[in-house]
Amino acid sequence: MTSKTLIDELIYRSALLMDSKDFAGFLDLCDPAFNYSITAYIPEIRKETAWLEQNKEGMKLLFDTLPRHNSDHASLSRHLTVYTVEQDEAAKQAKTISFLQAFKTSLDGGATELFAVGKVHDTISLSGDKPLLLSRNVRLETRLLGIGFHIPL
Amino acid sequence: MSRNETAWKEQPKFPSTHFVDTRIYTDKQIFREEQEKIFNKCWIIGCHESEIPNANDYRTFHHPGGAQLFMIRGEDMKVRAFYNICPHRGNTLLYDPVGNAKRITCIFHAWSFNPKGDCIDIPRGKEGYQERYDCKDAGLREVKSEVGYGGFVWVNVDDNSGPLKDYIGDALGLMEENLSMPLEVFTYHKAIVDSNYKLWHDTNSEFYHDYMHYFNRITGMLQPGYFDRQYKGYPNGHASVGSMEIKYDAYAGSKTRSVGWPGLAPGGWVLIDLFPGMTFNLRTSVLRMDTAIPLGPDKLIIEYRGLGLKSDTPEQRAERIRDHNTIWGPFGRNLHEDLLGVHGQGLAMREGSDSKWVLHGREENSTIHDEVGMRHFYAEWSKRMGRKAYDPFNDNKLA
Ligand code: FES
Ligand SMILES: [Fe+2]
Repeated sequence: MTSKTLIDELIYRSALLMDSKDFAGFLDLCDPAFNYSITAYIPEIRKETAWLEQNKEGMKLLFDTLPRHNSDHASLSRHLTVYTVEQDEAAKQAKTISFLQAFKTSLDGGATELFAVGKVHDTISLSGDKPLLLSRNVRLETRLLGIGFHIPL
Repeated sequence: MSRNETAWKEQPKFPSTHFVDTRIYTDKQIFREEQEKIFNKCWIIGCHESEIPNANDYRTFHHPGGAQLFMIRGEDMKVRAFYNICPHRGNTLLYDPVGNAKRITCIFHAWSFNPKGDCIDIPRGKEGYQERYDCKDAGLREVKSEVGYGGFVWVNVDDNSGPLKDYIGDALGLMEENLSMPLEVFTYHKAIVDSNYKLWHDTNSEFYHDYMHYFNRITGMLQPGYFDRQYKGYPNGHASVGSMEIKYDAYAGSKTRSVGWPGLAPGGWVLIDLFPGMTFNLRTSVLRMDTAIPLGPDKLIIEYRGLGLKSDTPEQRAERIRDHNTIWGPFGRNLHEDLLGVHGQGLAMREGSDSKWVLHGREENSTIHDEVGMRHFYAEWSKRMGRKAYDPFNDNKLA
C-alpha cells in the first residue's frame, strides 16, 4: 500500500506547480495516459457540460500556445484539501476527492477574489516507483466565471 | 504625432456615420432611453424551446428592458410569457431558473396561477375581499411571445408590436436551411462584465478584431477566401456575414471537424447579428447564440447558448460540446479574448475618463474587415433613439 502522504503530496504539488506556472513540472506528475477535464452540471438547461477536455499531449499544446494568446495575466492560487483517498491494490490505483478553491489576484494592486470552487476527482496510478496522475476531473460548482481564463485549474 | 486636448476632441476625419461619441456607452440617461425605446420595443430571445420541452416546463428570463419574465409551456403545448411578479405584494413567483409547475403558487400568501396566466386561487379571498376583488382581477401580465427561427422563444413586451417575422425580415435567410431541423441547447453559461452592451454587439459585428484571436488569425485570416467574406445589412439594424472555409487543422492540436452541420460547407462559418443584441454564430458543428442584456450603461450580462441537433447521437453531441467549449466556453481560446476586449473598453471608456470617439471608419467593399456592420447598427440605433450616435447631446463641435 502506498502511503497516503505520498498521494496527498502529489495532489498538493500539482497545485503548487500550476500556481507557479511550471507547466512542465505539472506534466511530469502525470502518467502518459493522463486525461484532464473541467466539467459542470448546468441547472438552467438540466445538462452536463465539459468546459475543457484534454489528454497529456493536448495539455502540453495548450500550455505551449498560451504565450500566443491574449490573456488575463492575473495569477491563480489553488487551494486543495484532500478529502478522501481510496486505494485499489489490485488495480494499483487510488481515487481521491479534493476540495478546490481558486483565487484570482490582479496584477494591478493585487486584489484577490474568489474565482471558483469545486471538487477535484483524481485517479492516481500507483504502479510505478512514484504515484502519478492518471486523470483529473475538476468538477466546478461555480459557473459564473467572469471573463473566463486560459489556464486550466 | 501625439495630440493635445483640442486635437483629441476634434471631429475624426470621417463622415458622421463613421464614428460615435463614447457617451453613448456611458450615459445613464441614454441607457434608460434605450430600455424604453429599443429593448421594450424589439423582439428578444428569452430561451430555446428545448429548455422547456414538456407541458408546464418554465424558464425565467431577465428581460433587457428591465422586466423579470418567465416563459412557460401550457397543457396545450403552447409557450406563453409572463412577468415573474405576483399581483398581490409583488413577490417573485418562480425562483428557480427552470422547473415544472402545473400550478404556480406564490410562496408569500399562496395566490395561485395556471400556465395560461389565470389566477386560480386566492386563499380566504371572499373573507378578505368580499365581492370587491377576486381571481378574475388578478391575472398575470402576459407579454407577446412566438417560437421560431430555429425554435427560439422570442418575447416582446410591447403589446402593440408587429409580428416577429416583420421584425426579422430576411435577416436570418442565410441560415434558413441550417435552422430548419429541431435543435437543442446543449450548453449554457453567462458572463457579467463591467461594460456597455453595444460594445459586445459591436465585437460580434466586426471581424477586424481577428487580430486579437491567435486561433482565428491562423485558422482563418491566413487562409484563402478570408477576405472575400461579405457583410450584408437588413432592415431593423440586422446584419450577416457569409461563409468561408476555415482550416481548423492549422491550429496545433485542432483537427478538421467531422460532425459538421446540415447545409453548412465543411469549415464554413455564417454569422448573423440581430438588433439590438443577439448573435447567431454557426461554425464547425455548433450554433452559438449570444444575448446581450444590459444592467446599466456600464454593466452587462451575456447569455451564451450552444446548440446542436435534437437528433444527435451521444458521440455527435460530445463532439459538438468539445467544438464549442474549446473556443467559446469560459476556458475556451477565443471567448476569453473577446471578453478581455469588452472589459478593457469598459475600463477605458467609463464616465469621466475623457474618452471621446470610437471609430467605425473602415471601408473595404463590405468585406470582412469593413466596419459597415457597426455603422449599420448605429443607423438603426440613431433612428430609434432620436439621437445622433456621433452627437447624442447636440453639443459636439462638428465640422
Ligand atoms: S405576494 Fe404573492 S401571494 Fe402575496
Ligand atoms: Fe471575437
